[in-house]
Amino acid sequence: MSSRREKWTDILPRYMTFISHMRPILRETRRIILNLDADLLLDTEVLDKIRQEEEKRNIRKVRALSEFSAMYRSNVYEIIKDFIIKYRDKIPIIDIKDYIVDFLHESVDALVVLQNITNPDERNLENTYLYRLVKFIEEKIFSRGNNIKRIYEKLLDHAPKFYECQRHLLMPHTYYREKIENPDFFMIPGLSPKVYRIINNITSLYNLDPNFGNYPEKDNYEIPMILKNEVFLPYIDSIANAEEDAIENIAERIGLRILDGIFLAPQKNTVEIFLEHNFLRENKQSDETVRLIPQFSNETLILYYLAFASLRRGFLSKELINWISMNFAFLTYMGVLKWKLSDENIFYAIFKDLQTNEKVLPYLMKLICFPNYIGVDKMKIRDSVQYRKEIFNFIGSQIDNLKEFIEEIAIYCETINNKKKK
Amino acid sequence: MIENQDRIWKDLLQEFIKGIEKATEELEKRDVENIPGAKQALLQRLNNMKLHFPTNNGEIFIRSINDKIQNAFFPDTQDFIEAFEKILKSRTHEQDFIINELLNGFVTSKAKAIALGAQGPVIDRMVEAFSKRNDFHIVDHQFFAMFGDPNKPRSYIKKQLEKLVNMFGLLSKELVVEKDKRTSERKVYTFYTFPDEILKILEEKYIVIDEELGHAYVSEEFDRNVFICMFLANTAINRDDLEKIGGTYTVNGICAIFALILLLSFMPKLKVDETNPVLRDPGFKENNMSIIPKSWMMKQVLESLFEPLIKVVAYRLGGGLWFSKIIDSEVNKKIITQVRFLLQDVNKWILGQMVRVEIPIFIEIANIFTEITVGTDSQE
Repeated sequence: MSSRREKWTDILPRYMTFISHMRPILRETRRIILNLDADLLLDTEVLDKIRQEEEKRNIRKVRALSEFSAMYRSNVYEIIKDFIIKYRDKIPIIDIKDYIVDFLHESVDALVVLQNITNPDERNLENTYLYRLVKFIEEKIFSRGNNIKRIYEKLLDHAPKFYECQRHLLMPHTYYREKIENPDFFMIPGLSPKVYRIINNITSLYNLDPNFGNYPEKDNYEIPMILKNEVFLPYIDSIANAEEDAIENIAERIGLRILDGIFLAPQKNTVEIFLEHNFLRENKQSDETVRLIPQFSNETLILYYLAFASLRRGFLSKELINWISMNFAFLTYMGVLKWKLSDENIFYAIFKDLQTNEKVLPYLMKLICFPNYIGVDKMKIRDSVQYRKEIFNFIGSQIDNLKEFIEEIAIYCETINNKKKK
Repeated sequence: MIENQDRIWKDLLQEFIKGIEKATEELEKRDVENIPGAKQALLQRLNNMKLHFPTNNGEIFIRSINDKIQNAFFPDTQDFIEAFEKILKSRTHEQDFIINELLNGFVTSKAKAIALGAQGPVIDRMVEAFSKRNDFHIVDHQFFAMFGDPNKPRSYIKKQLEKLVNMFGLLSKELVVEKDKRTSERKVYTFYTFPDEILKILEEKYIVIDEELGHAYVSEEFDRNVFICMFLANTAINRDDLEKIGGTYTVNGICAIFALILLLSFMPKLKVDETNPVLRDPGFKENNMSIIPKSWMMKQVLESLFEPLIKVVAYRLGGGLWFSKIIDSEVNKKIITQVRFLLQDVNKWILGQMVRVEIPIFIEIANIFTEITVGTDSQE
């Protein structure tokens, strides 16, 4: 795909293309099954013949589209056949037929929503599913705000339920492509497992036995400090050298700074935020100085990183942008499916198939990057097929907390729908 | 020989008791706790451990490590299937974090560890590859396609697949196509699947077999940890072949994590004032979490307790061979300090307090400790 700056009106039709080819296939199949005498379904050859006939009607000229349609139709029929074979001795064929028709109905409904998720001129933006769903997800795991304090507050509010999702959003599975220290100082990479451990170590050191030193911005106050070197003591074979060299960058992302060249201490802004959330506690000493005692939680520094990334979302690394927008697209897509399809729907597999995903999600990712949605640089979304494969394959390793989130998104879809009806 | 073993075991118990004494001394010097009575509770517990651990030739250790830890994560058997089944059975949402850590734990210990860099994600893709088919096989071609052009797979991908296939003990079967559609040349496809016995075990929860269609689908539950359980089972049964399991660092990594599990299980639960903010924190779940003292994490205390504890674990898991591989140098101290930030999801910080999530393995080991302590007290 070209590297020119793509407009909304360039990307939306691409998103629509494949969805608009799936829907007629399902609708047509439903009509055929509905009109078919249930007993005929018992003979699977009948279905094969119908499919062959349907394929003959294929008059599309674009090769990719006709190939996709053939693949899609063949998957649909295979699933129907399997379902019949599996249940023909257990359930009356008339009921099997009803099930298939219902499942197809649900699937068409899901596609209707996906097709009408937004519109070409972003009319009535705030009433579109895409906008509402993205904002719903964003509020919980990638909150917006005018300043880091506000964002941190919002993230923390949702952490009891969705901390694992929030952390997941920060940890791209393609972390090994990232540079911790970027020549561009502002660039924010995702969290690699090693940096994650280093942050955990910093949390432990603060809670255990910190040093205290003068608070540069406030007289008579002492802030907690830990020795920079101590953070890296546990590493052998120089495996954390890159992280050690980039400690200043890492520190900034978690609200810390280097003092006197050897200490890691909270920045002024961080002190205020942490005091407010009880992660720092004031303790008056006998000499009248006030000591700020750290009492960090696991999420204290990690959520700061996320809030920092959210505030500076214009400076996220390529990997992180792809990862975040992929997760948003995936959650939106799965949320709609969860809402429309019953759990036993036999066509779930097609919707979750990589071949379907790769036709829908990349464009959804780009749409989600636009300023009205999460507002990150969509030019950084990779177009290579290999990269898409790589990133979508990670959908298979989704975490339990994401599944819980998808259920909540599905409930929210229903709320949007009810409001629309009113 | 047995006498010799007994002597080593006795020395190890002795060394652990000395470690407790040293830790107690260090603890007396400083107080990093801010919950009234926390330091006292830890001192009391260390004292109890000192009294009761040597009982019955170290029964607490023997039962905790042999019966509980090994059964759950590192079965003492030569039979791969049996080992895999046991590890798989011990899975719970939280214990999964431990299982994962056992794989990730090696990463920080060794530069060229088994799951470094891209290999973790490669496992994820194997999961995906199995999920995409209905016969519970993966084909090399399909696997290569996940990384680019399947007809020109990169050599490192081929190597990775080979390595993982060996590590997980997958079976391979070749299919020769005399005339490949694309090139009209002879092509060999390799299919990989699990051994039949493993499939049988997985059938309970992870695979749905459709006898009518002859299909085998993976269920929602099938995830990367199924592979990690296989990896652990493989390591467990090959524990005597150090080269096969990754060498000294693997031994040290496994022992450090198990030593941490032991120590966490022995920590006393603290009673806190009902106004304590931790109790009101939304992350704290009163029904399955408890606040424990944090002083054990102080470097000086941690070293005193862990040095002998790691050796105890090594000796029980791998006898003299493993015991001799425990690194006794500065590197060991580094490994010990790594322990402090392992198992972060079950051993977490909430508002500056150390909180233990009461997962089955902690409860079972704590029960052994209580049982023996109470038993000895009543005998007295």
